[in-house]
Amino acid sequence: MKFNIDDLPVLFPYPRIYPEQYAYMCDLKKTLDAGGHCVLEMPSGTGKTVSLLSLIVAYQQHYPEHRKLIYCSRTMSEIEKALAELKALMKYRAEQLGYEEDFRGLGLTSRKNLCLHPSVKREKSGAVVDARCRSLTAGFVKEKKERGEDVELCVYHDNLDLLEPHNLVPNGVWTLDGLLRYGEEHKQCPYFTSRRMMQFCNVIIYSYHYLLDPKIADRVSKELSKDCIVVFDEAHNIDNVCIESLSTDITEDSLRKATRGAQNLERKINEMRETDQQQLQNEYEKLVEGLRGAGEARDEDAFMANPTLPDDLLKEAVPGNIRRAEHFVAFLKRFIEYLKTRMKVRQVISETPPSFLAHLKEYTFIEKKPLRFCAERLTSLVRTLELTNIEDYQPLQEVATFATLVATYEKGFLLILEPFESDTAEVPNPVLHFTCLDAAIAIKPVFDRFSSVVITSGTISPLEMYPKMLGFSTVVQESYTMTLARDSFLPMIVTRGSDQAAISTSFQVRNEPSVVRNYGNLLTEFARITPDGMVVFFPSYLYMESIISMWQGMGILDEVWKYKLILVETPDAQETSLALETYRTACCNGRGAVLLCVARGKVSEGIDFDHQYGRTVLCIGVPFQYTESRILKARLEFLRETYRIRENDFLSFDAMRHAAQCLGRVLRGKDDYGIMVLADRRFQKKRSQLPKWINAKLEDKNDNLSTDMAIGIARTFLRGMAQPFRAKDQEGISTWSWEDLQRHQEQLADEQIRELRARQDAPDTMQGVVANGGRVHDGSDYGMDDDEEEEMMAISA
Amino acid sequence: MSRKPAVAPRASIGGGGGGVPGALAISSDDMCPVCKTIRYLNKDMEFLINPECYHPMCSNCVNRLFNDGPNQCPYAGCHQTLRRKGFRSAFFGDLTVEREVDIRRRVAAVFNQVEDDFETLGDYNDYLQQVEDLTFDLVFSGADEGRRRKAEANLQQWEAEHKADIERNKKAGREADETARRRLAAEREAARQRRLEAAREAEEERLERVRSNEEALDQLAKGDGAAKVQLKRRGQQGRPVAAPAPEADGAAEVTGAAGRLSIRGLKEKKRAPESTGPYDPFAGYDFHPDRYKLRDAFASDWLDGFARDPKHSTGGYDVREYYARAMFDAFSGMGVFIGDEKETGSLDMSAREVADFGAGMAAEQSGPVVAPSIRMEVDDVFA
Repeated sequence: MKFNIDDLPVLFPYPRIYPEQYAYMCDLKKTLDAGGHCVLEMPSGTGKTVSLLSLIVAYQQHYPEHRKLIYCSRTMSEIEKALAELKALMKYRAEQLGYEEDFRGLGLTSRKNLCLHPSVKREKSGAVVDARCRSLTAGFVKEKKERGEDVELCVYHDNLDLLEPHNLVPNGVWTLDGLLRYGEEHKQCPYFTSRRMMQFCNVIIYSYHYLLDPKIADRVSKELSKDCIVVFDEAHNIDNVCIESLSTDITEDSLRKATRGAQNLERKINEMRETDQQQLQNEYEKLVEGLRGAGEARDEDAFMANPTLPDDLLKEAVPGNIRRAEHFVAFLKRFIEYLKTRMKVRQVISETPPSFLAHLKEYTFIEKKPLRFCAERLTSLVRTLELTNIEDYQPLQEVATFATLVATYEKGFLLILEPFESDTAEVPNPVLHFTCLDAAIAIKPVFDRFSSVVITSGTISPLEMYPKMLGFSTVVQESYTMTLARDSFLPMIVTRGSDQAAISTSFQVRNEPSVVRNYGNLLTEFARITPDGMVVFFPSYLYMESIISMWQGMGILDEVWKYKLILVETPDAQETSLALETYRTACCNGRGAVLLCVARGKVSEGIDFDHQYGRTVLCIGVPFQYTESRILKARLEFLRETYRIRENDFLSFDAMRHAAQCLGRVLRGKDDYGIMVLADRRFQKKRSQLPKWINAKLEDKNDNLSTDMAIGIARTFLRGMAQPFRAKDQEGISTWSWEDLQRHQEQLADEQIRELRARQDAPDTMQGVVANGGRVHDGSDYGMDDDEEEEMMAISA
Repeated sequence: MSRKPAVAPRASIGGGGGGVPGALAISSDDMCPVCKTIRYLNKDMEFLINPECYHPMCSNCVNRLFNDGPNQCPYAGCHQTLRRKGFRSAFFGDLTVEREVDIRRRVAAVFNQVEDDFETLGDYNDYLQQVEDLTFDLVFSGADEGRRRKAEANLQQWEAEHKADIERNKKAGREADETARRRLAAEREAARQRRLEAAREAEEERLERVRSNEEALDQLAKGDGAAKVQLKRRGQQGRPVAAPAPEADGAAEVTGAAGRLSIRGLKEKKRAPESTGPYDPFAGYDFHPDRYKLRDAFASDWLDGFARDPKHSTGGYDVREYYARAMFDAFSGMGVFIGDEKETGSLDMSAREVADFGAGMAAEQSGPVVAPSIRMEVDDVFA
């Protein structure tokens, strides 16, 4: 379908479009025109990705700037899906336009997924693949080879050098599979093809980390220009990703390994001093000039990069006392020993970076400045020493990263030392958490650098929380509802059991037999009436285990067993994927199954339960975080002091976004249907925090139900859903053909004209209206006369 | 004399921690190399070192060997004479680092120039490197005694030459440390204050919420808005309630108490026994007219004849009944404001009440005496 948004012709690869897709595109275009950031919430399963891609590609091709799109998603499967969508879109465009556009779209993922080297690709762990790949592709290895030494090289990587550097792959959209196949055919490395082609392609699809994690972002995403359009899809967890990318945990074990790494380094330095004094001297000279002063551009195979050092600092010379290799190693050792001593303390300590630095200086005479250069200096040393078995130095690198971060940031970070794993543990297992409390730090470079950043997800309510937490301002903030020809999902809040006793997983009552039994009855009843698949979410693994064992004792599981197979998610990924597979089989062959899983687990985030795979989702309890964690407490305090977000607000926001994420799992499209049950007394007060599209369908009469009432309503609903429903019924309501769209556009235009005319007629009265597409009400609609108010009071009293 | 154990001084004590696993896994952290006591036998064994030679030994050994004055180090091959006063516990697990840091302390006390003392950053970096070289000579020269001595001499020379600078920088450094410490303390204090503030705010908010909840309940109970309507509706009789229902009464009391929470419960309890009076079919409705007074006789020429006429009285006719009806007819419309009734939408109610009132009147009349109402609002029509 082809249509115009304002003056922009959009090619949409399907014959019909959803109204919300159209609205989404309009807002997106507005954002791009204005050149700002936006937060958009669109229900899951309404074709967010395709509308996003088709609009941005149209935008790219129509305007002369050809702004590049950087599309970030969270998981591999989502990246692959987006690539497939893009491929289909481009194919459609080519058909419609009659010619192939000059267009290149690429995906990037880890070396592990893209390696073709016969022995390296068989490695299980990603870190090992990375390290082995580096040892086969690093620049100095090649030099050695040229010098005639006997070193192994990767032929796939070397072949790349034979090609034109800006034309490693032909135009087109390359899915990861396609890239692998092409690489195999032409004997070239897909990973480096993708990395090197990044500046030459129109659309890049990769994981968040390549943009947010400062350790890789600097290397991978450095060359992207300022006017790129950055999209974070499935961004409801973006603040946690930001925080994790800047946090490190240091254990005794990692310190031990780091010591060993430092000792290895020392040995290497001594060896080198005997054999190749010149090399060290060269490095030294370079460092005298400054880290980057000598024009040493860090190439793609560098050992590691500096976490968020400001650029001006990188141009500065390295402090004199760590310039020489042996000085630096001694410096590192001293720092590690200091950390070891700190780890011996047997009480919990939390301190800010400045106080840590003060203490450090008092005991080891390590100043802040050399500490800041630690990570960069280590990179340079590793490069000079031409180390190949880089994975051995990973722990040392972690310590160096930690050193750099702790010396760079005074605010927004906290050091927490926990000597015991839990309050009851006897054997100490100290962990030094260096936690980032401020999600804005990691994402700030992204907002600073790119003019348009789009943050979007199916569940990103409340919208205003994200700009607040991430420290940016938006041009457009919208939440779209789902237009439906029939109410195909039924959200309910169950607050009581059939015996009218309140159900809740709050800490005081969660193990009471009556509550557990009521939850059990709820499960049994829904298992009885739900066709095919049913998913149940618990707040935590711990609680799930205890409640399942109690159910076993009460005979509830036997009862459920009559209707459905029972499968359980575990922290082990392989076991879970087996359970999922069995679940799918059981759903398909009619036996039906219940999947018991955890609201913050893997299932709740990445797995879709469309159609028969999920007809009911049951959310048992509000999935709050574990509030006793010191890291969380510190973060809450930080949020309160810095952004004026209160603890309870944040906790409840976080719990509800996870709950919404769970609920969204069952509804993956307009022809799908499902029941969403929130089973906890406390949900009643939190319903306003649900995404707009769910909340709109949650009727007032359904927000305080007991089990038996819920079952009755669900029965009626399922009966309704069992009626034949043809695609024709949706037309004009929840799907628009081209004619419907034209009509809608005309209507909008008419409205606009009328509005303009009204403004012309009464120019002075319209001053209060903000020129924002007429979307903003001037408030008087809601204002009430005093009399009316009084009357209302009288009636309500 | 103590026997000298044949334990070679280990360079890194407890640093590796990765001793050979197995039966001999008693790490140096757990066994005193001098007396071979293991931690199993002495739970709070503490290792001490003397900065003369950095050989660790347990505190018992130190007491045993050095209580009687200076003695030789018990380690084989170490000929240092140690005093008890010099012993202390090590900060670092790795004793080479401990030694290095001790030396650095000395060096740092002498070489304490700061960046501002130099013309360019490059000069400063060169200086830093020189200092580091010198420190290295002091720390790691090992067998090369000459280098160490030379470094030592350099150190002393520098100290002698730059005495004034060193003093100045030391003072400045101390001041900087002091300000930094003060700043940290202030920050911590501020954070604590903020935390308290937040806790207080949260508490206040909670109280506020509770209070507003209670207020809303109170309002419902005593019915501010409702009261207004009721008054209007019963305006025709003036004050409506003579023997009100117990709940309503309690609520009314609260009005007086300006919504203080605890009062309500108390008063309710006091009132409780009073309210159990005899059954009242009209639920406390007062039929006594309050706009006029019914007297036994009104002076009226044309009625006097009837009143005295036995023809009437024998048949049971009581002229007072006539008075009552006439008075009611005359006053019944008063106190009813059509506009108000329209607004509250309770016109039909009042109409019914009027009827009730009439019936009530009739019932009252059957009683022998009509108690006169105290409230007179309108003059007597017959007067």
